[in-house]
Amino acid sequence: MTKRSCSPGRFKIDPNFEPLRKNPSFQKLVGEGKGRRARASAARVEECKLPVSAIEIPVMKLKHRIAIITGATSGIGEASALLFAEEGAKVTVTGRDDARGRNVVAAIAAAGGTAVFVRADVRLAGDCERVVAETLRAFGGRLDILFNNAGVFHPHNAIDCTVEEWDATVDSSLKGAWLMAKYSLPTMIAQRRGVIINQASGWGIQGGDEAVAYCAAKGGLVVMTKAMAIDHGKQGIRVNCLCPGDVETPMLAGDAEARRMTYADYMKGAANRPLGRVGTPSELARAALFLASDDSSFMTGAALVVDGGGIAG
Amino acid sequence: MKGLTDKRVVITGGASGIGAATVERFLEEGARVAVIDSDEAGGRALRKRHPNLAGVINADVADAAAVDGAFQELDGLLGGVDVAINNAGISLWHDFMNITPAEWRKVMSVDLDGVFYVAQQSAKRMLADAGGVIINMGSTSGMNGYPRYADYNAAKAGVIELTRTMALELAPTIRVIAVCPGYVWTAMQEAEYTPEMKAAVDAKIPLGRHATPSEIAALFAFLASAEAPYITGHPVIIDGGEIAGGLASR
Repeated sequence: MTKRSCSPGRFKIDPNFEPLRKNPSFQKLVGEGKGRRARASAARVEECKLPVSAIEIPVMKLKHRIAIITGATSGIGEASALLFAEEGAKVTVTGRDDARGRNVVAAIAAAGGTAVFVRADVRLAGDCERVVAETLRAFGGRLDILFNNAGVFHPHNAIDCTVEEWDATVDSSLKGAWLMAKYSLPTMIAQRRGVIINQASGWGIQGGDEAVAYCAAKGGLVVMTKAMAIDHGKQGIRVNCLCPGDVETPMLAGDAEARRMTYADYMKGAANRPLGRVGTPSELARAALFLASDDSSFMTGAALVVDGGGIAG
Repeated sequence: MKGLTDKRVVITGGASGIGAATVERFLEEGARVAVIDSDEAGGRALRKRHPNLAGVINADVADAAAVDGAFQELDGLLGGVDVAINNAGISLWHDFMNITPAEWRKVMSVDLDGVFYVAQQSAKRMLADAGGVIINMGSTSGMNGYPRYADYNAAKAGVIELTRTMALELAPTIRVIAVCPGYVWTAMQEAEYTPEMKAAVDAKIPLGRHATPSEIAALFAFLASAEAPYITGHPVIIDGGEIAGGLASR
C-alpha cells in the first residue's frame, strides 16, 4: 500500500474523510473532532501551512475491486494475488495445483485480505466459465479485473516442437486468455467498467531462441490485446498487456533444466541486459497493479514492457 | 506511488497543460519540484498556484546555453536531479509541401534538440550522484503517421529512438523511458476545437474521449517511482486505444 502525502497548504481538507480522521498524525494535530469542531481543526491545519508529507493518508488502489488471476499459484501470478489483495481487492486465485493455490489463499488471509481458490485449467472452456461463475457467486456478482497470467514454456524450434507442446503452450497463454475474457466480459460490460491484463512477453514483440510456440502465443496475445481494446473500449473496458523479460520464477528454473544448463549459467545469461539483472515477481506485480488501477485510466491496447531494457537494443 | 517523497524533480514546460498537471501530481506525491519554462507569465501564475514549488526557471529548452544556465540555477534550488520530465514541446499544423525551413527548425529545436539538451544536463548530474530517471515526452505521432504534422511526427520518432539509445548507454544507473500520449484535452485544444471537431476525434478513440492531463501525469509518476524499477528503454503508449487499430478501425 502506498501513502499519499497530503499538503494541507494546498488541499481542501475534508475533516470527515475517514482515513484522514483515523490518521495518527492528523489526530495529533487536530484531535478526533467531528462536525463543527473538526471543521475548525481542519481550518487550523490549513493555516499551519505544514510541510509536504506532514500527513500521510494510506491509499488502497484496488479497494472493493474483484479480481481473477490465472496461474496464481506461483511466480508473477502469486505475487500479484498477494499485492492486489493488499491493495484491497478480493481475489480469485486459479491454477492447476490445489495445494499451492490453497497456500496462496492462506497467505492472503493471514495478511488480512480476502481470496478464494478455484482449481482450473484455462485450456478448458468449461473451467474458465466455472472460474467466472464461482467468482461472481463468492464476491457479490461483480468482476472488475481479469489478469490472464497463466502460461507454460517448452524450449524447442519448429522441428523439435511436438504437437502436444504446441497445444499446451498456445492453449494456456492465448486460448486461455481469450476464454477467460469471453466469460468475464459480459459482467464487466454490464458494469460499464472492467480491466483485462494479458501476460505477454518481450518475446511477443521480438523473436527468441528455441521458443517457437511461446513466441507465437505471446505475439498473438499482444495483438489480441489491441483487438479487444478496440472492440470493448466504448463499453468501459480497458485491455492491456504486460511484456516481461526474464523473471525469477519457477518457469525459469524449469527452462534452465530443459535446456540442460546449470541454473547459475542460465541466470547469468538472463541477466545480460541493460539493467544487468533478471526481474522479480514483485516488480511485475507492481506493473500489473498499475494497469489494474485507476492510475492507468487512459491506457488501453498498450503493451507495457518490463524487461530491464532487454529488447531496447 | 512509492519512493517519490523528497525526490528532486525537474519538469520542462511545466507552466501549462500536461506539464502543469505533472507538477501538481509530483507535489502531491511529496516530491521537490522545479520547472523550466519559456513562458514567463505562465511560470509566475504557476508559482502563485503552487507556493511550495522549489522554483520556476525562465528558459527556452531549444537554446543549449540557456539550458546549461537553467541547470546551474537548478543546482542551487535542488542540489541535483533525481527525476527529469522532458515535457516541453510545440507543434505546428501545416501541409508537408508548405513547411518552411524556419518552421521545420523551430519544431525540431524544441521537440528534439530541447529533449537532448535537458536529458544530457540531467544525466550528467544523475551519473555523478545516485542515478535517476529520465522520462521523455514522445507521442503516438512518433509511431504512426498523422497528416499535417510531418515535422512534429519526425521529431517524436527521434525522441523514441533517443530514449532507447540513452537507456542502453546509461543503464543501470539511469532509467530512460518515453511516454507516448495520444489525444489529450488541454487549454490549447480547447481553444482550437469546435465541439464538432472534438466529437469527431473522440469517436475515433476506443475509450471515446481525450485524456485528461492528470492521466498522463499519473503515468509519469508511476514510471518515475519505485514501483517501476525494472522499466527502461521503451516507449509507453497512453492513447485510449487510438493506435491499437490504425486507420482501418476508425
